Amino acid sequence: MAGESAKAVDVAGAMITGPVPAVDWLIVAPVLIPLVFGALLLMFRHEMRWHGIVALIGLAALVGADAALLSRVLEHGPLSMTMGSWLPPFGISFTADALGATFALTAGIVAFVCAIFALRDIDVSGRRYGFYPFLMLMMTGVSGAFLTGDIFNLYVWFEVFVISSFGLLVLGSERAQIDGATKYAILNLVGTTLFLIATAYLYGTFGTLNMADIARKAQTISEAAPLMTLATLYLLAFGMKAAAFPVNFWLPASYHTPRIVAAALFGGLLTKIGIYALLRTLVMLFPVERAILADLIGWVAVATMILGVLGALAQSDTRRVFGFLVISGVGVMMAGLALGTETGLSGTIFYAAHSMLIMTALYLLAGVMKEMGGSFSLHELSGLYRASPLLTGIALLLALAIAGLPPASGLWPKVLLVKAAVDANAWWLAGAILLTGFLTTIAMGRIFLFAFWRDAPAKGVAKVFDPATAARPVVGQGVLVVLTVPIVLLGVFPEPVIRVANMAAAGLLHSSAYINAVFPAGGG
Amino acid sequence: MNGDVLLILIVVLPFVGSVLAATFRPNARNSEAWLAGGVALACLILAAIAYPAIVEHGAIRSESEWLPTLGLNFTLRMDGFAWLFSVLVSGFGFLVVLYARYYMSPHDPVPRFFAFLLAFMGAMLGMVISGNLVLLVIFWELTSIFSFLLIGYWHHNAGARDGARMALTITGIGGLGLLVGVLLIGHIVGSYDLDRVLAAGDQIREHDLYVPALILILLGTLTKSAQFPFHFWLPNAMAAPTPVSAYLHSATMVKAGVFLMARLWPVLSGTPEWFWIVGFAGMASLLVGAFFAIFQHDLKGLLAYSTISHLGLITMLLSLGSPLGAVAAIFHMINHATFKASLFMAAGIIDHETGTRDMRRLGGLFRYMPITATLAMVASAAMAGVPLLNGFLSKEMFFAEAIETHAKSVLDTSAPYVAVLASAFAVTYSLRFIHTVFFGPKPTGLERQPHEPPFWMRFPIQFLVLACLVVGTIPALTVGPFLHTAVISVLGPNTPFYSLAVWHGFTLPLLMSAVALVAGVVLYLLLNGYLNRSEAGPPFIRRLQAQRIFERVLVVLSWKWARSIEARLGTRRLQPQLRLLVVAAFIAALLPISLDDLSLTSLRISEIDAVFVLIWVSGICCAVSAAYQAKYHRLAALILLGGAGLSTCITFAWFSAPDLALTQLLVEIVTTVLLLLGLRWLPKRIEEEGPKTVSLGTRFRRVRDFGIAVAAGGGVGVLAFVAMTSPVPLETVASYYLEKAYVEGGGKNVVNVILVDFRGFDTLGEVSVLAVVALTVFALLRRFRPAADSIAVPDQQRMQNDFDEAEPDRKVGDTIADYLLVPAVIMQWAFPVIIVLATYLFLRGHDLPGGGFVAGIAMAAAFILQYMAAGTRWVEERLRILPVSWIGLGLLLAALTGMGAWLFGYPFLTTYSQYVELPTVGATPLATALLFDLGVLGIVVGATVLMLIALAHQSTRGLRSARVATEAEQEEA
Repeated sequence: MAGESAKAVDVAGAMITGPVPAVDWLIVAPVLIPLVFGALLLMFRHEMRWHGIVALIGLAALVGADAALLSRVLEHGPLSMTMGSWLPPFGISFTADALGATFALTAGIVAFVCAIFALRDIDVSGRRYGFYPFLMLMMTGVSGAFLTGDIFNLYVWFEVFVISSFGLLVLGSERAQIDGATKYAILNLVGTTLFLIATAYLYGTFGTLNMADIARKAQTISEAAPLMTLATLYLLAFGMKAAAFPVNFWLPASYHTPRIVAAALFGGLLTKIGIYALLRTLVMLFPVERAILADLIGWVAVATMILGVLGALAQSDTRRVFGFLVISGVGVMMAGLALGTETGLSGTIFYAAHSMLIMTALYLLAGVMKEMGGSFSLHELSGLYRASPLLTGIALLLALAIAGLPPASGLWPKVLLVKAAVDANAWWLAGAILLTGFLTTIAMGRIFLFAFWRDAPAKGVAKVFDPATAARPVVGQGVLVVLTVPIVLLGVFPEPVIRVANMAAAGLLHSSAYINAVFPAGGG
Repeated sequence: MNGDVLLILIVVLPFVGSVLAATFRPNARNSEAWLAGGVALACLILAAIAYPAIVEHGAIRSESEWLPTLGLNFTLRMDGFAWLFSVLVSGFGFLVVLYARYYMSPHDPVPRFFAFLLAFMGAMLGMVISGNLVLLVIFWELTSIFSFLLIGYWHHNAGARDGARMALTITGIGGLGLLVGVLLIGHIVGSYDLDRVLAAGDQIREHDLYVPALILILLGTLTKSAQFPFHFWLPNAMAAPTPVSAYLHSATMVKAGVFLMARLWPVLSGTPEWFWIVGFAGMASLLVGAFFAIFQHDLKGLLAYSTISHLGLITMLLSLGSPLGAVAAIFHMINHATFKASLFMAAGIIDHETGTRDMRRLGGLFRYMPITATLAMVASAAMAGVPLLNGFLSKEMFFAEAIETHAKSVLDTSAPYVAVLASAFAVTYSLRFIHTVFFGPKPTGLERQPHEPPFWMRFPIQFLVLACLVVGTIPALTVGPFLHTAVISVLGPNTPFYSLAVWHGFTLPLLMSAVALVAGVVLYLLLNGYLNRSEAGPPFIRRLQAQRIFERVLVVLSWKWARSIEARLGTRRLQPQLRLLVVAAFIAALLPISLDDLSLTSLRISEIDAVFVLIWVSGICCAVSAAYQAKYHRLAALILLGGAGLSTCITFAWFSAPDLALTQLLVEIVTTVLLLLGLRWLPKRIEEEGPKTVSLGTRFRRVRDFGIAVAAGGGVGVLAFVAMTSPVPLETVASYYLEKAYVEGGGKNVVNVILVDFRGFDTLGEVSVLAVVALTVFALLRRFRPAADSIAVPDQQRMQNDFDEAEPDRKVGDTIADYLLVPAVIMQWAFPVIIVLATYLFLRGHDLPGGGFVAGIAMAAAFILQYMAAGTRWVEERLRILPVSWIGLGLLLAALTGMGAWLFGYPFLTTYSQYVELPTVGATPLATALLFDLGVLGIVVGATVLMLIALAHQSTRGLRSARVATEAEQEEA
């Protein structure tokens, strides 16, 4: 095909000629580690005793790699590696900036903690049908989504984690799970298809899929280019992944059905990937269009947070309460996206990291509450204070965190976002964020009052639980302690995270560092 | 001691103590009290040590870096006013700990109590000495949280739970408002540092955002200090243990609101907005609180309303904007704390000794506990404003201020009358407190004989009452200098001349005091009879309580509205959600497009190839019919879907992509077969009986959905058309791929080189998806039990089996075997052929259409044929493939191949290619990409076979369950 003449092509202009430093492999390590461990787990499917340990080793390695990557990114700025030694934009680039690396690290921590919890929560049948391989492959997709610098590749990782999460969702094959999983799968596939359509359109417009290349070209592309259509399509596709109003009903329909660890992983991670993708596309690739859409995004944010928290108030199943709180959190994050200022984006990024930790912790809390108190229903739960003061303390701190009260981590992103809203004169956004926090307090207060303080369930409901003889899940409570410590630490010493979040936000707004990392010459 | 260390210690010590306290044994009352008392005393001593420095320098500061990016430092700053509050907080803390040691019963889990109490003390101290407004808000919120925990201490009691929740909700709203208010102040001033904010008064008052900031900050302070209309949480908080009421809800936490108003007084006050909002809230609280207090039967309820009233007095003084008012306000903060805390403690003792706090049941206690009674009488007198007690002094100052005209308005004119009226009420309820509890007939129906409490339990009251007396008689010599330090730190150069003398001569305020005293006594005499018979709460408006309104609002908002909104907007059904999503997508894509942008004109008829169009028309027809038939004839729909797939396949071939065409074709075949296998187990469609009548609503819904589908599908088509027909961007990666595939990718088949080399990572991801899908199908189907109506053997099979059974020389299954004899043989013999084909496809993939993916599918097709030919059982007995392991191995191989580049210092998935001379085969391309492709092949085969097994296995299981079912029926018969 290319024939002899092509041999004259300067190889240096197409491929990397010199070796790359081995430390650059940190950029892909967060994808490869869970992938290899997932494959290993599949090959030794019947050695179920070892699954948990192997998965934990893999996830520990993942967390280590993520941490090393983040520290390197913070030190040197964005890092990039283009697969197959091709020069960008021809190969697939992985580009780690402060935003992606922070999210990847937080996600890795969440997965690790969940894997510990799963040691007790996932029974033999769950292991036989692949809980741990699903978990590892989901983390492959999650890490890939946070680190890739190529928009089609992002689509691929979306597929990987969506399908893996589907596997986790149906583990157990109960009627409710199948019902929830059907809705989850169909709606998410439609959403992913939208993403694909948008990406095809984008390729047709730009002739490239490399995000740095797109960001570069978007500044100079002709006025006639349909960037606005692309921006709205991405807004919808990722808004749906993030569970933004009005395309968010799949979340409450499905998140309460799987095993609690799976729900914790979903609540912690999945919506945040949607937020990440929104930040990446709308802020970095289409900043002009984002500014035009700002009011729309703002109203979507307000509707998402208010309706989310009202939904939480209307539930009596703890898992459903938390499902709706995930949604209201998404609204809060979208507020930062609507503002688009550095402080606002920084608030969104901090909130996302906080939300990964807190939502996971809350779902796990629901699991431990169920194990001790015998139910997920607030009508039936009672007396947990008497049964475990430790759990009560954790629940209180987590409630403060999700409501955005001191001394937990939720306060600071809220401060940042409100400050950004006040600076931008966006009263309605600031008001909605605070109202959401207030209503969240009420929703969490209800759980605290009913499940923990109350000694016996309401009249007419059979008591399912006796505090004196209740189970005391050591692993569950231990994991919750492990999650609560960073949540409180972030509340008391938020400076490092705020600094990183500011850096990540600045990196999004001023994409030159990102572009330079991919195209070192600055041209290309 | 260094000021830095001292201030940090004051804040940190209580929290450390709190953590320690939590670890003690549940009934360690003594050690808890020693610990907590020690901490409180230490804080008090630290404050005392700081005093000289404060007098000398005005304030001591400690600043350490905390959040430099937000411009927030951990600044502590103690001036005279903060010092005064620190002493109040730690001093009262000490007294309350002492009292609580005797008050708490041995059955109460005290570690928790003292831990919360100490943590509260820390938060409160932090709040008063914060030198940074954001820090102040954080400590402020912490006080609300610990107040919540302390109110709910006896959590088994529903009243305590509700009271705690209400307090948290109300102060929570306030806290949020305060936060925004403070952020606004920061926005105006450019700093959150208290010193800088205090120096920027004019700037703040003249700013556009002054009014919103003021309202939000006042929302915080008025809720915290339980001011009208947010006052109702305080009486409900009385479910807390009495030491908590004495400490938090009279002496310290409720003072936080007025503290902050005084703190920011130089900055915020002096405007009409301030005067109206603060003045109205204060005056209303003063009057309403005092009025309601008269009609309470619960001792603590009376004291709670009285607290609201007195805080209202302080608020009103602050509203005036006159320095003298501020002085009086600060003075009254001290005085109120002193007498009210001692009264609460006395009420607690009465409760403790008699078992009730209901004034209708109490009486004549003077003879049982004369000392306590005397102390309570003195404190009550202070509360009523009787001369020679501290309450009198600040009230005189209040009267003097009320007479003055500050801003001519209704509020100002009515102030003296309201003041006298409220004072009269205060006299009435104080009198009632004393008279009903300590005098009159003996109490009836008490569980035990009341007597004096232990000395140390009474000691805090004695101490405080003594303070009331001493301050009331010789104010200038006792509290004078400290008050002056506090006042100077708030008012600075504006500090007015004021006199703390007991006797100012026959003045108007004195007359007002006298009138109030007399009126109060008369009012009590008039009401006495009524009060002992009535229900709790004031007459006529007993039902109209803010608390009820609040609860109603809360229920409506959080339950009724929330549920109805969820019911209306949320749906748990799939179809509406899909509809919503598709409509949203349509709008999202359409919205930004103005029709001019669509360059549809670029299409010329001459460029259209009729055959190609025909292929597409038939493809579209197939797709539309498939959608149309999906509900009624699944089989037909599936086949039609295959037709649509084929036209895609031909399109690929048309545009010279034989690779894609081949892959598409094989994928179509395999998926159709797998779907057909799955179709067998779907539940039957329920046939409607009777004539079909379609209601108008259904008809409308169908038309609408049809419209949506057409619009959205057409929209995507237009979008695709525009994208494909609009001019190609100058440089695309596609042209580059064509150029470089062979030179650097080492392969002539561009598509394959793109798949395994240029975009190998995508492929890795996609095969992972395939692997996960197969695993999910497997996990799903292993637990799947077919629906009852699809278990039955199909008609054809049943007839064949019946025939076999009827004939003596035939076994069941023979007919099928006969039927399929020829195809089965062909299919079985085809197996090696197909495997060879697959290998060929795999190897040649590098240069010609083929590759790991296609080869894998082809191989999988070979297995499918075996299943069809010989049946599930026969194949499963002979199957040597472990599909899950193949998947795992494939993934591992693909990933490790890519990682091999690490050894050579190249990026992930860098390939190495070379032609190798093999005997007989000739020059064979050998790229590391081939290994990668092998991994892909493993995954594809493993995944497809896994799905096949999972689906095919249903038939054996289905038969088994069918057999069990018929056997059971026969047994029953």
